[in-house]
Amino acid sequence: MNNRHRPLGPDVLGRLTLDTDPWLSCDDCFRLVDEYVEALLAGHRDVMPPMRVHLSGCPACAEEAATLLVLAADDAGVDPAATLAWLDSVAGR
Amino acid sequence: MTTLGRDAAETASSGIVDWVESLTVPGPAQDEAMRLLHDLMVRAARCQVLRMRSTLGGVGLAVVEEIANQSADEAMMAVLRKLRTFEGRSRFTTWAYKFAVLQAATDVRSRAWRDRDVHLDGLELLADKGTAPEQYAEAADLAAVVRTAIETELSPHQRRILVALVVDGVPIDVLADRLGASRNALYKTLHDARKRLRAHLRDTGHLADIDRQAGRS
Repeated sequence: MNNRHRPLGPDVLGRLTLDTDPWLSCDDCFRLVDEYVEALLAGHRDVMPPMRVHLSGCPACAEEAATLLVLAADDAGVDPAATLAWLDSVAGR
Repeated sequence: MTTLGRDAAETASSGIVDWVESLTVPGPAQDEAMRLLHDLMVRAARCQVLRMRSTLGGVGLAVVEEIANQSADEAMMAVLRKLRTFEGRSRFTTWAYKFAVLQAATDVRSRAWRDRDVHLDGLELLADKGTAPEQYAEAADLAAVVRTAIETELSPHQRRILVALVVDGVPIDVLADRLGASRNALYKTLHDARKRLRAHLRDTGHLADIDRQAGRS
């Protein structure tokens, strides 16, 4: 036991008690993420609901999905700003 | 050329109709496809490292390039190992980028945390002060409820993983590496812990208040 104290504000409280159903693993997220970011860039934000849930609960996967989105948008000649902002809000950033 | 190096991507995507075939059939075309694929891996890895650069304590571009190139080399091998699993559900380039993005992100997090301790021990959670006394009182009450639930409803393993990942902000791949576990296994533990907490908080009538405070209602 130690004496380190961590703040438990609304943000942390929210992340501790986040509803992450339906379950999706990090491996499944990786398998789907290329298809997912291309769908997001095409304006389809309601596709693959488990992906949205996973990205809301897994900061590492969300960070990587955001970069992939930027790369795919650049290839497609699309401005990623709006979709990136939406993805950041999903991830609670 | 854009900051992402689109010239490389355009070059890489031009002239190759079937990446899988080009990368697998021996000959000059394969050599060229390998070179172009490596360019793509460097581009994606560099993009990821640059986006996470602030976590590396102000390293220079030489270090960024060093990490990006090492990650790209690793990612290229991963792409070639997984080539037969490409199903054409996305562009080949987007599919391939994800290997470099994953490798670079993992490498950056590992480097950012290499001199930092990861504590898996005590649980001392304090409520943040709100702007008004009544807000602080409610936040403190909810924090106490959640803290008690963490202590009484979760297994020791669930408690350690939940606190390390969510409260202390240890990246999941860093924690997985320190524990000799997989990212998947830790995320499953996190998922189960959250689910158990929510069930308990629902049973005790606190979930609605917590969801409201977290802006979910």
